[in-house]
Amino acid sequence: MATTPTDIREEGLVEAALGVSGTPIRQSNLWKDAWRRYIRNRGAVVAGAGFILILLYCLIWPIISPYDPNAVDYSQAKLDPSLEHPFGTDKFGRDLFTRTAVGGRVSILIGFGATLAILLIGVVYGSLSGFVGGRLDNGMMRFLDALYGLPYLPFAIITLAIIGRTDMWTMMIALSIASWFTTARIVRGQVMSLKENDYVRAAKAVGARWYRVLGRHLLPNTLGILIIAIFLELPAVILGEAFLSFIGLGISPPDASWGAMAQEGRGTYRTHPIEIIVPSVAIASLVLCANFIADGLRDALDPRTRES
Amino acid sequence: MLKFIVRRIFWTIPVLLVVIFLTFIMMRQIEGNPFRQTERNVPESIQRNLERKFHLDRPWFVQYLYYVKGVATFDLGPSLVIRGRDVNDIVKEHFPKSVELGIYAFLFAIVVGVPLGMLAALRHNTAVDYGAMFFSNVFHAVPSFLVATLLIYFVALEAGALPTSGWTTWQSKILPSIALGFAPMALFARLVRGSMLETLQQDYVRTARAKGLRYRRVVGLHVLRNSLIPVITAAGPLLGFIITGSFVIELIFNIPGIGQYYVTAVSSRDYSVVMGLTVLLASIVIFANLLVDILYGILDPRTRDART
Repeated sequence: MATTPTDIREEGLVEAALGVSGTPIRQSNLWKDAWRRYIRNRGAVVAGAGFILILLYCLIWPIISPYDPNAVDYSQAKLDPSLEHPFGTDKFGRDLFTRTAVGGRVSILIGFGATLAILLIGVVYGSLSGFVGGRLDNGMMRFLDALYGLPYLPFAIITLAIIGRTDMWTMMIALSIASWFTTARIVRGQVMSLKENDYVRAAKAVGARWYRVLGRHLLPNTLGILIIAIFLELPAVILGEAFLSFIGLGISPPDASWGAMAQEGRGTYRTHPIEIIVPSVAIASLVLCANFIADGLRDALDPRTRES
Repeated sequence: MLKFIVRRIFWTIPVLLVVIFLTFIMMRQIEGNPFRQTERNVPESIQRNLERKFHLDRPWFVQYLYYVKGVATFDLGPSLVIRGRDVNDIVKEHFPKSVELGIYAFLFAIVVGVPLGMLAALRHNTAVDYGAMFFSNVFHAVPSFLVATLLIYFVALEAGALPTSGWTTWQSKILPSIALGFAPMALFARLVRGSMLETLQQDYVRTARAKGLRYRRVVGLHVLRNSLIPVITAAGPLLGFIITGSFVIELIFNIPGIGQYYVTAVSSRDYSVVMGLTVLLASIVIFANLLVDILYGILDPRTRDART
């Protein structure tokens, strides 16, 4: 490539300025500092542990569980929690402890998939807007200002109607299509403020091309806020899946997701309320953990916003 | 200030056009031509007349312009499924109930959420603060269908104090409003606490205290007023919250509002209704954002220049 000489010169300059071992030490300090700050936050540590526990439970329990999550057995229907069935059974006699884990897999996969899509769109839109600046930025941001808070549910529903098929993958698309505005805004803000830093000016001054400035200096520095954004978006998407499935337009029984299970439980809440409580509490626990992790990460990775 | 308002209003128009355009394009993907269905067996001349009446013989961008003209003159077109019924009729019949529900939920959120946040901020780092924040964190995470179901189960069924569903008497309006208001209430409490903690550290608060003003007066006059400003910006996402929540709450409590009708319309493939309602909901959010931005500019002059 024709740009190689420029890159080498630029690399040399940065290294000369910081000393040979300057860059790696600084980097490891940033993440080590963040880790130390995170560990000090007791709420965030508990939430992190809870989050991992829920993930492990959803991942492993369906494999070792003695029950088939879809096997109907009316003689075992609507049992209360016991040693054999920690969460009881539903109206078809399926073990809720196993079914919750299976449904959790679907809900969490949709959650992470849609979150990734949201981040992707947000990074492209936000960095374009922040990096180019000027009129384009103005227009793109006014557009976002106006769309801020647009309810995602109608657009998710329409998207599903267009695709004509409702499964895990289409749910990811539907839930990310009108939810990326906040992430785009955050990324744009970060790129804007980074752009004014001396090292970016230095890189530009030695002739680095725009894609190098963006890819090497700006985007890696948005990594911190993107990690925070994962845990900010994840709860919203998990709740979105639950709402969509609950109103009967998302994952539908006999397939399990936490929303679909709550929808099934709605029919029997008068006689057997645990059927709706179990998936709802599962959703709430995961969302709660994610919220606390997001708070902890924000304090750890973005010291400027820390409360004194 | 006038320049700012004019600019902001000017920017709303293209955004509205884009949102209508996107909805229009999305709906066209699923709609097809409603008058060309084979099972209906309509004579050719009638079919052509129908197509001409609804401009379906014109190219899509002309159809789009007709639709924009319709939206601008508050005419959302006819329903495709129910003969002789316009989308406007549906809006007139169902929308007031949703608005009423939204307003009550909003009031509940303010009346409980704001004092809770204030209390937490004034008793910072005490048991009261932790309790209030735990409470609001939990209810920010719990899906509204669980809140609604538990309210119905304990208040309506076990205690028999209030009706389980409907939207007729004032008693029947209490539970849905509370269920819908819970998540916004938690959001309010967190926002008010955060902005109040920040305001309490401002120099002018210290000055007011140093002047010898009583604590009550400082908090009531200086702190509260300034810490409520950021809360106003939350109106955008809050409105989205309430719209999304109303889909679920109206379904559970069997309230004939716009959210419930939306789900019905999607299921019966009445796409002109779906489109009209989507455009309506999006426009409401966009106009709310416009109002919030202008209000923000008036309340906090510092933001004016940055935003023009």
